[in-house]
Amino acid sequence: MNSLIFSTASRVLFWLMLGVSLVILWRGHNQPGGGFVGGLVAAMAFSVVALSEGVPEARRRLRLHPVVLLGMGVMFAVLSGLPGLAVVQGFLSHQWLVFQNGFKLGTTLLFDVGVYCAVMGGMLCLVFRLYEDEEDAP
Amino acid sequence: MSLTTLLACAWFGSVVGWRLAFLQGALLRYAPTLLPAGLCAAFIGYAPAVARGRDIIDVLNWAPSVGVNLALRLDGFSLLFVVLITGIGTLVTIYATAYLSNQPVRERARFVFLILAFMAAMLGTVLSDNLVVMYVFWEATSLLSFMLIGFEMQKPEARKAALQSLLITAGGGLALFGSILLIGMELNTFLLSEVARRSDELLGSPWLAPIIVLLLIGTFTKSAQFPFHFWLPQAMAAPTPASAYLHSATMVKLGVYLLARFELVFRDVPWFGDTLVVFGSATMLIAAAGAIRATGYKAVLAQSTVASLGILVMLIGLDGPVSAVAVCGFIVAHAFYKAALFFCAGTAIHATHIHELRKLGGLARFLPATATAIVLASLSMAGLPPFVGFIAKEYLFEAQLASSWNAFPVLVAVIVNGVMVATAAVVSLQPFFLKRGKIRHVEHGETPGLLIGPLVLGLLGVGLMPGFFSDYLIGPAAAAILGAPIAVSFSLWHGLTPMLALSGLAVTLGGLLAWRWNSFHRALNRMPLLTRIDANRIYQGVVDRILGTARWWTRQLQNGDSRRYVLITSIALVATGAWSMARSRSVMELTLAGELLPLPAILLAFGLLGSVVAARTRSLVTGLIGVGVVGYGSALLFLLHGAPDLALTQFAVETLVLIVLMAVLGRLPGIAGHTRSRRERRVDAGIAAAFGLLVFAALVSMLALPFDGRVSDFFAQTSYLEAHGMNVVNVVIVDYRALDTLGEIAVVAFATLGVWCLLRRRRAGTGLKPPAGKAGEGKA
Repeated sequence: MNSLIFSTASRVLFWLMLGVSLVILWRGHNQPGGGFVGGLVAAMAFSVVALSEGVPEARRRLRLHPVVLLGMGVMFAVLSGLPGLAVVQGFLSHQWLVFQNGFKLGTTLLFDVGVYCAVMGGMLCLVFRLYEDEEDAP
Repeated sequence: MSLTTLLACAWFGSVVGWRLAFLQGALLRYAPTLLPAGLCAAFIGYAPAVARGRDIIDVLNWAPSVGVNLALRLDGFSLLFVVLITGIGTLVTIYATAYLSNQPVRERARFVFLILAFMAAMLGTVLSDNLVVMYVFWEATSLLSFMLIGFEMQKPEARKAALQSLLITAGGGLALFGSILLIGMELNTFLLSEVARRSDELLGSPWLAPIIVLLLIGTFTKSAQFPFHFWLPQAMAAPTPASAYLHSATMVKLGVYLLARFELVFRDVPWFGDTLVVFGSATMLIAAAGAIRATGYKAVLAQSTVASLGILVMLIGLDGPVSAVAVCGFIVAHAFYKAALFFCAGTAIHATHIHELRKLGGLARFLPATATAIVLASLSMAGLPPFVGFIAKEYLFEAQLASSWNAFPVLVAVIVNGVMVATAAVVSLQPFFLKRGKIRHVEHGETPGLLIGPLVLGLLGVGLMPGFFSDYLIGPAAAAILGAPIAVSFSLWHGLTPMLALSGLAVTLGGLLAWRWNSFHRALNRMPLLTRIDANRIYQGVVDRILGTARWWTRQLQNGDSRRYVLITSIALVATGAWSMARSRSVMELTLAGELLPLPAILLAFGLLGSVVAARTRSLVTGLIGVGVVGYGSALLFLLHGAPDLALTQFAVETLVLIVLMAVLGRLPGIAGHTRSRRERRVDAGIAAAFGLLVFAALVSMLALPFDGRVSDFFAQTSYLEAHGMNVVNVVIVDYRALDTLGEIAVVAFATLGVWCLLRRRRAGTGLKPPAGKAGEGKA
């Protein structure tokens, strides 16, 4: 799309949306948000680039192939279930590290990152494929 | 090392073995062999403890809430199997590396990986004490067998045979799963050891007959019993190392393994054993005839394997403690000689590129060591002393004489053993010793890698140390089948017994048959009855008919017009929804009382406007915007009613759907053509209205029900304390119902992969049909 306003705005929008998606992912456990919405917003960030600068540029920024991202997502989710297996509670019983100052870190975060990656990779698979047709495919 | 560690080693080792198989050195390329050899040594280390009657048990919680745990148990019978699996696996890996040495290294590595992964799946199946876990590994062996049969995927017959074996074994696997679920439903446990202990409860159950029948279907398909006996000979399209490993020595014995396990449970059901004897005998006779009729070298061996499996199934069906010893002895003897025979046949075929048994001859001059090995193996197969096969056959006849059956199984066994003797003579003498000068030269001679397997197995088949086998492998295994200790005297000489006389009779019969083999071969091939009733053709007919029906339905339901799809889906939804609502007789209460909330009312009005626009407009983009208004409107409505998570998701989904759909619409004409007749539009409107009404009625009746807050209260109370999260929605998604979410993202992944592949095809195929290799390159 050859619009000066859009392509200028997209430079800011891309980083803004990517940042917001990470915030949504991080705060998801206690406030509205989570991996699913975060992944959707991140996919939107790359879609904005794909629309303004073209799919090759969006692919370059993503670095990973969207299918790889998709697979990594499912893999992260599976991996997050393994610690629970190790402490004999069963697959996907999440484990927590509770620090002195009240900060908590659990395997749920890894699970949510998995959801994030799977959703983002899945959506970008579709967006890249569909918009690529008009451009030069890699 | 614990059993779980060993099993994990086997699985991860298959990937490591795949990388190792890329090594090129003369010795280094055999590096993957270390995995099965190491596992074999580790399992043999358990043998003394198991022989003393101790079961090794190792439990890892997997999903304790539904009673599915990774419960592994090593008793005598599973020890027999794991030692065979890893031991023969070692030899197969060596043989395969040498056999595929002229293939590209990628192909060889792929084969080694499949073999090692198959070994891991087999180990899992025989070690699992939990039936559900066992079923997972069981199906894994079916899948890997499919990939090994279709290894040379450029050959159409290999693909066809692979699909056939998958359809039959995986279909049978589903029956087995049904049986497992019924057992779990009746006894509330999936543990095999506990099922065996509480067998009397199962015998009193009304589901007994379905359980047994489904179990029999599952095991008969896997072990190629009549009427599913035809897939195994077809499976010989696999490379010979795979045939030796999967389709003779290990995988096909899984059905036998499971039947022997359940013999303890269903011992007091008379028709269980009788069915096994009848079907086993039928399989033996059919396969014996098949062996005489077959022309291919490997096909003859495959038919004799089916006959051997029939013998095993029949033996399990016989009562009396001797049959358990006979089963174990025969499993060992058969695994040794049949794998060795396949190795030798593979070497002969590989060296000459001739598959037909009758076209081979005089190979002993070129392949002397292979000829030695095949003589050893075929003597064991023929059941001559001093080979293990002889001892096994003595036990076979003893079990038959000791059982309560009449002379029928004995008669069948004598005939079939005669055919086995003849087959052993024909497969060893004809290609290697007779008809000298038929083959002038061979492509390559013997290499050490091709020789280790057959020679080791051939020598093991010499029954020189029966004491070791009987004390450490066969005795404990038989005791595990029987569930009680049993004294096994596995020796070569039992005195002048009726069994010896029957053995002599079988050998004489076999000698006669081998002498007149060609006349029998022609006579049986001319018999009209056998050519007409061809199970393979019946299978093909059934498959064709199913495919035909499916094609007809596809043509009816999916004619390529997307409006047709939407129409059918909507009608189905409305019909099932209305039916279930009418059945539940839900109360509909609609009270008009209450005040009018201005903000939601405005949102709803906007939504209404959007839907009217979407329905009326001819411009696709306008229609999309209309639908978008409805979507964003409902997101705002969620926000107003305290569901911020839902609203956030709805906004994001709505936006992405717009982006994706715009990409599609960009390639379509802006204005939809006028293709629907007035009548069709009326039908569409009617169905749309009915759908809307149904959703409305469903919502109203749902609101009329009293609100059950138990689940949400539980989540609200425990979410922060137990799961450390304040956002209940997210906690439910990632923690309480994490397994569901995992399933969902896996579905998302697979669905997207499918769409991704479809779009890729379309892109490449803008013009005429693209050449096969260029699908990924795109327009550029």
